Amino acid sequence: MTLGYFWSILFLSLHAMVPITLTAAGEVVGERAGLFNIGLEGILLLSAFTGALGAEAGGWPLGLLVGIGTGAVVGLFFGLVNAYWKGNQLITGVGINLFALGFVAFGLQALGTPGFHDVPRDVRLPAIQTPVGGLSPIVLLALVVPFAIHWFLNRTRAGLWVRAVGENPEAADVAGVPVELVRLLATTFGAALAGLAGAYMAISWMGSVTKEMAAGRGFIALATVVFSGLRPILTLAGGFIFGFFDSLATWIANIPGVKEAVPWQFVSTIPYIATLLVVTGVIGRVRFPKALGVPYRRE
Amino acid sequence: MPEPLLKAEGIVKVYPDGTVALRGVDFDIRPGEIQGLLGENGAGKTTLTKIISGLLPPTLGRILLGGEPVRLRSPKEALARGIGMVHQHFALVDDFTVLENIALGTGRPADRALRASVAELMERTGLRVPLDAPVENLAVGERQRVEILKVLSRAVRILILDEPTSVLTPVETDELFGFLRRLKGEGVGIVFITHKLREVLEITDRVTVLRRGEVVGEVLTRETSAEELARMMVGAELRPRGRRPVELLTDIPRERREAVRTGVEPVLVVEDLRVPAEGGGEAVKGISFELYPGEILGIAGVEGNGQTELVEAICGLRGGRGSARLRGREILGLPPLELYRLGLAHIPEDRWKYGLILSFTVAENSILGRQRSPRFLGPLTVLRWGEVFAHARELIARFSIQAPGLEAPAKSLSGGNQQKLIVGRELSKEPDVVIAAQPTRGLDIGAAEYIRDLLLGLRDEGKAILLVSADLDEVLELSDRVAFMYEGTFTAVTTPAELDRERAGLYMGGMRG
Ligand SMILES: Nc1ncnc2c1ncn2[C@@H]1O[C@H](COP(=O)(O)OP(=O)(O)OP(=O)(O)O)[C@@H](O)[C@H]1O
Ligand SMILES: [Mg+2]
Repeated sequence: MTLGYFWSILFLSLHAMVPITLTAAGEVVGERAGLFNIGLEGILLLSAFTGALGAEAGGWPLGLLVGIGTGAVVGLFFGLVNAYWKGNQLITGVGINLFALGFVAFGLQALGTPGFHDVPRDVRLPAIQTPVGGLSPIVLLALVVPFAIHWFLNRTRAGLWVRAVGENPEAADVAGVPVELVRLLATTFGAALAGLAGAYMAISWMGSVTKEMAAGRGFIALATVVFSGLRPILTLAGGFIFGFFDSLATWIANIPGVKEAVPWQFVSTIPYIATLLVVTGVIGRVRFPKALGVPYRRE
Repeated sequence: MPEPLLKAEGIVKVYPDGTVALRGVDFDIRPGEIQGLLGENGAGKTTLTKIISGLLPPTLGRILLGGEPVRLRSPKEALARGIGMVHQHFALVDDFTVLENIALGTGRPADRALRASVAELMERTGLRVPLDAPVENLAVGERQRVEILKVLSRAVRILILDEPTSVLTPVETDELFGFLRRLKGEGVGIVFITHKLREVLEITDRVTVLRRGEVVGEVLTRETSAEELARMMVGAELRPRGRRPVELLTDIPRERREAVRTGVEPVLVVEDLRVPAEGGGEAVKGISFELYPGEILGIAGVEGNGQTELVEAICGLRGGRGSARLRGREILGLPPLELYRLGLAHIPEDRWKYGLILSFTVAENSILGRQRSPRFLGPLTVLRWGEVFAHARELIARFSIQAPGLEAPAKSLSGGNQQKLIVGRELSKEPDVVIAAQPTRGLDIGAAEYIRDLLLGLRDEGKAILLVSADLDEVLELSDRVAFMYEGTFTAVTTPAELDRERAGLYMGGMRG
């Protein structure tokens, strides 16, 4: 393998890292507040679809906004059901995933592009030109966001509140922290980041929408959250590991000779298996918020 | 008489499971007054104060603040109106540092300015805690100080303290009282809940007594006595002091017990036990002692001097070096279940962390640790629920535990009743060695007396008891020998007969005997 290959795999890895890292970093905030959103996969898919529509209607800025907005709306719904109405987080999350699948399949059908919906080049997010190729600005954002979240959680008053409601909601309540509101906002923020990740996939990275495009990334993000032990900066590592194997698999699948001999479906399982192995292998003593997944009731 | 700061009228509280905790209570809080709130375990003291501090909504009744009816929908709203409460069960975030917990309570960031003002507050109140230690590493007494500091670091006009002194040492209690008097001088209205009548007589101006959810008396402190208060609390049928559990009544005179002990092998031998402290260094620095059958060895000392670590190491909850042998067998590092099989029972100081599973029912909690005993475990590892319920009913009757029902979650019991459940369960294991950490903490006078008698009874039967208590009087009253613990070592081991309070205070403060 020449150096050129190395650089291009690194480059591809960075792009493939973005959805995982953004989604996982956002979910870290939600989980720190005590809400466990298994519907991330659905949010990625939904916001990829709506993001593409937004971009087609008003260019990439609108596309990104619509993607983020879609995530936020779903997050708001999730937060209302679970923080305020003490619903079942697992069921709500699964519901989001199922809804997204049905909705996007239906939407693509209605647009007349059931299999593959191309996002026109001129409404995609312009890339930054580098010697190795076009670099999406969102990659740079994704490299910064985990650090910003780390700072937020550990250095700000709001971050203290988020951690408190996840760790001991009763103590937070007694101290005058509005538990439900903090949980709602935290999970909404997390879902909005997943929304950004979805829009990125559609209008920057892939430039298309298919109903399979989330491809389990929401779940890999959840695994990454676990592996990171809810430390946002480590979601960069989790995202990069997945991105790396994802790119490697694409590269392997396209090597002449391999392409004919091994079905690509087989090769494309590599990143999932590899990520899960690394992620589960590395998990040490991870400490989760005590009230994660538990609704808070006063009496 | 000044206008009350707060008036509660006709407060009724019915919990969702149907328990009626308050049946129409009138209560007021006046500026510049310390009001004692007394009552047996389960009388409704915590419930009433939770309602006043916005944590629980009343089922019926209303609250007036400065004459205006208000609805306090959350502690946040109550705090905004200057009502602060120190809760009976700590409302602290375990993995936050002390400073972060205080920051949470003040709504300020955990920065240098806050650190400075908390340091100053610690100076004024005499309540000192390490600000950067995670709360989970603190002993119960230290956590109590954090709770108090947390509320005091806000400007409050009404201050409610739910059993704040149950784990404080006499010195700390005195300093706290001094501070409360100053607050009172500034016009703050204070509600003070305790089971210790001596404290009530010392600090309060007025006393309100609750019984089974009703106010049964309100008196001025200077016009009452301990006897009258006790009578009001328990109703007409005042139990005689020192009522002994019938089945344990033995009258072995002290001299005979001494005789029994000579020539007897110790059951528990601890040698050069060292337990690392959470933040580095050692919490227990090489302690050795022997525990004999038929004796109570008391460990006195200011909390946070390694008692917690000592007990947890012996009980298999924490690692330690050195040796601890139970009837010759090394037990350091053995899991708690194994220790129970070897005949060791542990009444933990932190009832929420190690004592109970709050969301489990009373019945389930009553067999914790014994779930595999053949009495409760049937074929195919199906629990024999009939036996479990029978056992729970037995405990409830024997320890007069007030519980909404066998299937009510443990968290629906009042604090004192939770404690009775733990003590009852541990003693029902028929252990040879009992490690009791703060066994009577939060119990009303009658219940505390019952537990003390029970411990004495067990001793007379020849069991060995290690008693750790922040209540010096309790240690001196019950123990055959007392050890004083200071910064991880014993400063003195002696008998209560050779002690007076002053000398005890010196040993607790680090003087070696
Ligand atoms: N969450 C709950 N659900 C149902 N019943 C409850 C709940 N909390 C308390 N109770 C019941 O309400 C009654 C009053 O309890 P409360 O905690 O107010 O007593 P207390 O006077 O503070 O007692 P203690 O001195 O033991 O702390 C008790 O019978 C208790 O079992
Ligand atoms: Mg109480």
